[in-house]
Amino acid sequence: MEPAEQVASRDEDLIRRIGTGDDGAFRELFSRYASVAHALAFRLVRQAQLAEEIVQEAFLAVWRHTERYDRSRGSVRSWLMGTVHHRAVDAVRREQAQRRRSEDAILLQAGAAEDPIDDVLAAIDLPAERRAVREALADLPDEQRDVIERMYFGGESQSRIAELTGLPLGTVKSRTLLAMRRLRDRLGATGP
Amino acid sequence: MIRDHSLIDELLAIQALDGLDGDDETTLDRELAAHRPCEECDRLQVEHAEVAGRLAFALDPLPVPAGMVDRILAEPQRREAAPQDAVARDEVARDEVGRDEVGRRRDARLRRWQAATGVAAAIALLLAIVLVTRGPAVPDRFVPFQGASGELAMAYTPGEPGVYVWGDGLPDPGPGKVYELWMFQGGTPIRGACLTPADGSLATFVDTDLGSSESMAVTVESEACPAAPTTEPVYTAELS
Repeated sequence: MEPAEQVASRDEDLIRRIGTGDDGAFRELFSRYASVAHALAFRLVRQAQLAEEIVQEAFLAVWRHTERYDRSRGSVRSWLMGTVHHRAVDAVRREQAQRRRSEDAILLQAGAAEDPIDDVLAAIDLPAERRAVREALADLPDEQRDVIERMYFGGESQSRIAELTGLPLGTVKSRTLLAMRRLRDRLGATGP
Repeated sequence: MIRDHSLIDELLAIQALDGLDGDDETTLDRELAAHRPCEECDRLQVEHAEVAGRLAFALDPLPVPAGMVDRILAEPQRREAAPQDAVARDEVARDEVGRDEVGRRRDARLRRWQAATGVAAAIALLLAIVLVTRGPAVPDRFVPFQGASGELAMAYTPGEPGVYVWGDGLPDPGPGKVYELWMFQGGTPIRGACLTPADGSLATFVDTDLGSSESMAVTVESEACPAAPTTEPVYTAELS
């Protein structure tokens, strides 16, 4: 496993080369992150075709606009996953707004709520990064992990989570911050 | 002076997870602007973004369909400038006297506004149909916007005031939020109008003068319709 600093440095070099039109660099970046990005998009939108479109659009944006990456704002992988997550959440919320107009919304929402990250946590024989992140998530108090699941893996906004759980909005916010701090402390600077 | 970053910390954590909504988006923008320049704010933002980015790696990878990478590479690159040039631009910006961090970020946004590309013939056709039914004054320029999702287009006649705007499948801008249309003239955003889609659709006439606008952009803003954009554009279009 490459140390985190080497991964970050390698990714930044790939971005620089992609900016010069280097196909090979793009293929390497794509091979490193496309399958995780696809998993993330599918997890959120739960539609194969839409998930593929989101991944393709996100990587197309990388191919066309490497100048949008600002290293002072974080690593390449965080930028990439953030881009994919943002696009997927937009899609989820658009669909949710449409669903709310029908009775189906209630059933579909209940189904989503019954899909916690436990299935992810149950997997075995994981690469180190996946194992580290899953362990960090598993180490969270249940109420904090629930907020992270709903917000990051479910695409729910803070207000929607408060509405669904009956918690005060302030509690949702404070649990989110506590969870993020705990994840940061647990994951630290280590990476893939 | 020691500033309290607890509110910013909390809101940045939620923003990193794409969970921020309502008035808190405006609150975060306001707090960040009040703190600038703020190394601690930057540190917190990066820290939360990194944690959020790591979360994706908890998922089992899902292979992408064969050929996707080739399809992407078949698209032309449409960069504004090579990364090295971007770095040089940033260095020049840092050296400029009397410009604060907010100003530099706004300039960076404005540069990105000029990245509109592509043609959406289907949108133009639909727009033409809609507009033809509205009367004899049919605009002769149809311009599709580029954006993450949904379809947005505008139509106008050069030299005549007024712009028709049509959209479908547009994401809900969120509680207390609207879309705001901007005309981009010589590096300056000129306010066009605030737009509120109904069920994702939009068909309206904006009584404004495009003048010498070379591009257009749409941002998500508070219902107060600010006089200057406070967020990144979600749709862009070139008029040339």
